[in-house]
This record gives sequence, C-alpha cells and structure tokens, in this order.
Amino acid sequence: MDNRLVSQSFLGPDSDVTLAGLTAGIVGLCGGGSHLVHQLPLVGISKFVLADPDIVEDRNRNRLLGSTPADAEDASAKTAVAERVILSINPDAQVTACRSRWQEAVESLRRCDVIFGCVDSYRERDDLERFCRRFLIPYIDLGMDVHEAPGGYSISGQVVLSSPGGPCLWCLGILNEKRLAQEAGRYGKAGSRPQVVWPNGVLASLAVGLLVQLVCPWHGSPQLTACCEFDGNRHRVETNRLDTAANLRCAHFRGDEFGDQFFARG
Amino acid sequence: MIIFRSRSDLLDAVREDLHRPHAFAAERVGFLVCRAGRLAGGGIVLLAVGYDAVADEHYLDDPSVGAMMGPAAIRAAMQRAYNGGAEDLGIFHVHMHGHLGRTGFSEVDDRESRKFVPDFFNVAPGMPHGAVVLSLDQAVGLCWPTPGAMPAPIDRFASVGAPLKMWGRDDG
Repeated sequence: MDNRLVSQSFLGPDSDVTLAGLTAGIVGLCGGGSHLVHQLPLVGISKFVLADPDIVEDRNRNRLLGSTPADAEDASAKTAVAERVILSINPDAQVTACRSRWQEAVESLRRCDVIFGCVDSYRERDDLERFCRRFLIPYIDLGMDVHEAPGGYSISGQVVLSSPGGPCLWCLGILNEKRLAQEAGRYGKAGSRPQVVWPNGVLASLAVGLLVQLVCPWHGSPQLTACCEFDGNRHRVETNRLDTAANLRCAHFRGDEFGDQFFARG
Repeated sequence: MIIFRSRSDLLDAVREDLHRPHAFAAERVGFLVCRAGRLAGGGIVLLAVGYDAVADEHYLDDPSVGAMMGPAAIRAAMQRAYNGGAEDLGIFHVHMHGHLGRTGFSEVDDRESRKFVPDFFNVAPGMPHGAVVLSLDQAVGLCWPTPGAMPAPIDRFASVGAPLKMWGRDDG
C-alpha cells in the first residue's frame, strides 16, 4: 500500500492499485470540476481526461479552486489550471487535457472508466449521459443552481450516479421535456448564472464518494445508481427520487445503440 | 490500447451458461457479440452487447479437446456477425477456466482461435473479432483489429456494475 494512502486502507488491500489504474474523465472544470481535480488525485486516482474549452476569467474566481489572479490576467485555460493542480498533488499522474468542447474529445473520453459531468445545461447533460451509455461508462452528474424564491434565493443541486443498465437522468426526473424546452427558450438571453463555491464542494465530495464506493466498496452494498439532492437553504442532502425510479426498467436508451455508429464503415 | 467493456450482468450470464454441463463436451463455449469505438491514438474500445451460446447439438464429440465446435456453430456465429446486412458486429469466441484470478490462453486455445477467428472478416470485415478466456472473476483476450492483422492482446477489461471492476494484462 502506497504510504500516502495508508489511512484509507479500509478501502481494500489493493485499493491503491485499483484507484491508480482507473481513468477518470471530467467534463467542465469550473465550479464542481475544480473540486474534483483536487479530491480525485488525493484519493489515489492518477489517470485523467479533462475537457473544457474555456479560459479563466475574473468572474469565475469566486469558485474555481486552484486558480490564481495571474490565471485570469493571462487568460489561462481551465484545463491548464486543472492539470497543474493534479500534478501538484501527484507529479506522476497522467493527464490528457483537451481544451475543447467535450464533443471534440470523444476519442479520449471513450477510454475513461468513469466520467464526471459538471456542465451547465440540461441539454449538455442529456448528450453526455447518452455518450456514456453508448460506451458503457458510468456517468456521475453534478448540477447546482440558484433560483429566486419568496423572501430571497434558493440554492439547490444534485449528484446522480447513472450506470449502464440502471435508471437514467430521465428516469429520475432530473431531465424532462419541460426543462429542456424552458432552457431552449432562454438560449441567448441568460446573463451570468449565479454560482458559489460551497455547494459545488458539497456536490463534488458526494460525487467522489459515489465513485469510490463503486470501485472500492467499503461496505457490502455498493450502489449502481444513486441520486443525492442538496438543499442549500436547509443544508441537507436527501432524496426520494430513487425510491420510485430504482425498480424502473430504463426505456430511454435503445439496447442497440452502442459504440461508433459508423465504425464498420471505417 | 484495446479495451474490452461489458456490463457485469452480461458477464455473469455468460459464466452461468458456460458452467452448464454438456452431454459429452468437457466444457462449453460461446460467442460474445460486440460493437466498437475508436480511441485517440489508434486504439479500440470493444463493447459487449450480447451473447450467443453454442447449441448443444453443435458440439462435436472430440475427447482430445475440452470442446470442439462443429461447422454449424461457426455458421451461426458468422450469421450473427453479418447481422442481416445491417451494421457488422464483432464476434469474440469465449470459454471459461474455472478458477479465480488471472488466466490465459492454453496452447490449444491459441491455436484453434487463430484458425477460425479470421474467417469472421469474410462476413464482417469492418469490425474487430477475437477470442476471450474468462476466469471466475477476470478475463484475457486476443483481438484481430482488421482483416489480415496479427492478433493483439486486449490491454484492459472493465466489468461495469456495482462494483465496477477493472483489470489489465499489466496488472500484478
């Protein structure tokens, strides 16, 4: 056991090897993603595929862990900041940094054993989950939002572990036609969306826990699917979405939609 | 880099089928049906999407080997690869060694798969084909990526379920 990980040896005698061998994809490296690039190398994951097209801007710096004033001045790529953070924790880590939309990095993301999605829109979540299902990759979705509410604002968010064969974001009601239509209606009108650092930290920590229980279960009942909803006003994490969805047979993904659609045509 | 990924419940079903006794064959064999995707750097990810057991009557009685498939078994697998003229499917011959941990191809496994696997390219030239040997909890495999290519070892397997298990030919 790697000395650095000896305090988590309860995860299993070979957990250091398992975690070091796993390739994690992270799509979106601002709020939630910037927490993940700190925690995942700390638990021992050493192979990463990162995708984000954006640069660091001052307006990101209330929540982008690891960024410095110089990153905003220099317009550093978020992938460069994430890679720097990972290598500062584990200099031997292997990082594939794709400064692009994830749709342009699919041939790198396909080799991931798990993909974390920290994307802004429901449409992107839908597309990313579809990609993961198509390539039999467990997908961990993080999302948070701040809404106007009577008397102030409401902070909420959720983390979903969506695995091939289990309930998906549609089954759980995270995605629905109404939300997609509302989002499409707002396209181009939205200003800067409200975001703060602490809910992202809560959600990212839950997401890391969901991955670790999946690959190094420290108890007898690892979960194939999980949904954690964060109420940032009541400071609680709970859900009943899974109670109704756990036994659903997912009908949102066709059984024959796997791999490259045109692989055989070269 | 060649990755082989399957849902764990599919692999469980394959192991259960291969574990069944046969009237005269010492072991059972079958075929994993695969789709595929390209990886950056020229690799392939293979995605197991189905399993076809070899029918009882398609075995030949040959005590010199654990299981000998007759021509009808190969024909059925080739029809599956052809997929009725729709998108080709990859076919991976599969059998099981009844122990835990790392396993490997025996000399017979290796020799026999090199005889018949390339024939799948006659009906499905656009897909990789190959052979997989399961143990009770792991697997090894060979993949013929293109027609005429030499077989390459599968570098990494993932059994996707809870727990999510991964292993590679370079592990331990």
